Amino acid sequence: MTDIRVRLAGITKRFGPVVANDDVDLELRAGEVHAVVGENGAGKSTLMSVLYGSVQPDSGRILARGTEVGFDSPRAAIAAGIGMVHQHFQLFESLSVTDNVIYGAEPTRRGLLDRRRARERVAALVEEYGSPLSPTAIVETLPMGLRQQVEILKALYRGADVLILDEPTAVLTPAETALLFASIRRLAERGTAVALVTHKLDEVMQVSDRVTVLRQGAVVASPATASTTPAALAHAMTGRDIEAATNDEPGPVGPAVLEVTDLRADPVRVDRLEVRAGEIVGIAGVAGNGQSELVRAVVGLRPASGTVRIAGVDVTRGDVRRRRAAGLAYVPEDRGAVGSARSLSIAENLAVGHLRRGWLNPAKVRAFAADLMRKHDVRGAGPEATVASLSGGNAQKVVLARELEHRAPLLVAENPTQGVDIGAIEYIHRELLAYRAAGHGVLLVSNELSELIALADRVHVMVDGRFVASVDRADLSEQRLGEAMTNATAPDAAVTTALVPPDQGASIAADGSADTTQDPAITEGRPDGDARA
Amino acid sequence: MATLAPDRGTGAAEKPLHRVARRAVTGAALPALLASFLVGALVLLSAGTNPLTGYQALFRGVLLDTNLPYLAAAFAPILGMAVSFAIPLRMGEFNLGGDGQLVLGGITAAAVAMAIPAWGLAGFALAAVAGAAAAGAWAALSVPLARFGRVPIIISTLLLGFPAVSFASYLARYPLTDKGTGIPQTPRLPDAMHLPALPASAYVNVGLLVAVLLFAAYWVVDARTGTGLELRTLGANLRFGEYVGIDVSRRTTGALAASGAIAGLTGALIVAGPPYRFIDGALVAPGYTFTGVTVALIASGRPAGLLAGALLFTALQVGGTGMERDVGIPRQLTAIIQASVVITFVLIVAVQAYRARTKAGAR
Repeated sequence: MTDIRVRLAGITKRFGPVVANDDVDLELRAGEVHAVVGENGAGKSTLMSVLYGSVQPDSGRILARGTEVGFDSPRAAIAAGIGMVHQHFQLFESLSVTDNVIYGAEPTRRGLLDRRRARERVAALVEEYGSPLSPTAIVETLPMGLRQQVEILKALYRGADVLILDEPTAVLTPAETALLFASIRRLAERGTAVALVTHKLDEVMQVSDRVTVLRQGAVVASPATASTTPAALAHAMTGRDIEAATNDEPGPVGPAVLEVTDLRADPVRVDRLEVRAGEIVGIAGVAGNGQSELVRAVVGLRPASGTVRIAGVDVTRGDVRRRRAAGLAYVPEDRGAVGSARSLSIAENLAVGHLRRGWLNPAKVRAFAADLMRKHDVRGAGPEATVASLSGGNAQKVVLARELEHRAPLLVAENPTQGVDIGAIEYIHRELLAYRAAGHGVLLVSNELSELIALADRVHVMVDGRFVASVDRADLSEQRLGEAMTNATAPDAAVTTALVPPDQGASIAADGSADTTQDPAITEGRPDGDARA
Repeated sequence: MATLAPDRGTGAAEKPLHRVARRAVTGAALPALLASFLVGALVLLSAGTNPLTGYQALFRGVLLDTNLPYLAAAFAPILGMAVSFAIPLRMGEFNLGGDGQLVLGGITAAAVAMAIPAWGLAGFALAAVAGAAAAGAWAALSVPLARFGRVPIIISTLLLGFPAVSFASYLARYPLTDKGTGIPQTPRLPDAMHLPALPASAYVNVGLLVAVLLFAAYWVVDARTGTGLELRTLGANLRFGEYVGIDVSRRTTGALAASGAIAGLTGALIVAGPPYRFIDGALVAPGYTFTGVTVALIASGRPAGLLAGALLFTALQVGGTGMERDVGIPRQLTAIIQASVVITFVLIVAVQAYRARTKAGAR
């Protein structure tokens, strides 16, 4: 199992003054799952784009099965057996599984699309891999885990024996993630070379054989997974020791700063939600289960029925402005589209939250910004630079700085660490804990279970717009939250099973290489087993 | 068009002066200007005229002593209309009803002045304020239409312009007409209401001062007040503005009312200059409104660009008249140059935006 499918040698790519990849070597071997990790901007995406032919390197060589190739487009990469599953699925939602799989490589007869052969080939592929997919199912009716299978089948249909997965677990439930990992292991055992781009170190430890760590465009380590630890990887990624912030002791709890009753805002059906001063209340759930609608209804960006009280004031009919006046601060999920004006300067972005009345003294605006930037360690530019020129982590610090500075009784934070690097994550976690310790209440909505487990005093699990479970800090664990999500969707979740090649299909659990320890439901992932049984 | 509105600042900290200089060179305005003069040269060549002769005449037309007063006189309404369009543009809204507001301001001022003929200059000041108020209210009408009727402001302002122009035309023909002249115009204002001329020339009156003051006020509000910051924020990202707690409908109403009021005031000031009356069509025909729109668009509503653009476009219009007189080149050439400026400017902005997108996509 050491034959090298693809080798990237000395890849260098510059975007203007930024060196995205600096003399990077990467070997993808048949049968090996190779994790590629690094902070945002470390060059993971660029490297994968080079491998997939959508970005041309300035220098360096690509060797496929030992012969040098030049990928001038994804088409060339696909022809060389490379398949890629993007983070955001590239599927036609209104079309069937079959149409999506064959798109761009349709079987034809006399120049016309041969529908029958297309159906047969996709059905054969689905059967070969033991996928529960129905070839005629319309993609928009499928859960995320199955849509991802469609993406993987797309690559396999094109004969991929090198599979790139870009942040594949971002949209999956823990159970779906476990199934995906089982599929990945199976594909690897069958000889596929898998490149897994991720920023979650626990996933690296779970599923990969080798891991390449990128920092500032260069490879800083490439150990076998078995011989490394998450802490060592984090150190390699950031160049320093990261000490995770956790919520160690419960603080004194004060009066309620947020009281929500009977909230209805399709699909949200929340009968009761309370956040008190001095606590962090978490909302867990897979993206798209109504969390963002809940947040928008709470902060006043979306109409809803029911009542919302912030710091004792009934703001049910108030817009964002009224709710902010009552005592709301809000870090939105989309810092580019909602949380900042990217084309304006950092100083303006900060001032618009605090210095909007009357005359503006430019010197004062600058000083205010410089002060906040110092306090929150915003690096990379001065107050006059645009927010667009900042990295994700620093842009998020600008948003956080502005909102924390309100010292509002209630802070709503929506995926506050999404897309920011490890150093910034640690920083943001500390800030949230400090905000709580200062006697404020925090409503923390997050897709990252580890974040909620580290910070929250109480977590509500949200599925399909409802709270299906509420877990206190003492009982918080990934398993407990994962179970709550899975059980709530039981009838649907059971349909999702792993992709399993036929020759290996006997049993996943017996094999032990896949992570199947979390939930008994996961071991249903068998081609021969009727999932509903 | 919305891509024109946001401030296109980039990059790291620099001295403000450097930034202005860099924007002028790397921005779209200057290249667009050069390109449009090239287009003009091609047109001249194809018409069998030496472009050098033509442009010489154009510049002579601008700088000729006898033309300077016209330049100054045309500058005031163009600057006024540019400021009028720039205010809502700053927050990403388009007021295309400038003509209607200009005319409404003019006819209202004429009507009020006729009612209080003995009040002199103070009376006309009152009349001008009434004109501004009428035009401001008319422009602000677009906000409830957008909010409750879901008519985009760019559409409603444009459409509201037509009844305003027609209504003013009706007033100038019937109830307020100067009987006996047979021309659709209001009676000449009493002498005491004529705007005092500045020392330079009879054509250059206090209206120029008022326009410059309005422009200065716009600059100060834009750069030095919370209101200006709010407007720019809304223009850069409406959702962000809403999220951060800006009262969007109040700011929109205010911006449109101010925009309309400045257009109305501009109309009133024209009426109080020679020939000291409201003549049907006289306010619309010179195309002040859309020259102002063009200037404000190219400047993205930025104050410094507004001033430079208003000067340039006024010069082109006045110079065109001189060129026609001196060497017989039709002044439509300057219209061609103006149109080319707009087209190339929009092209350059579109290409830059496309490049920025593809560059961002590669990361």
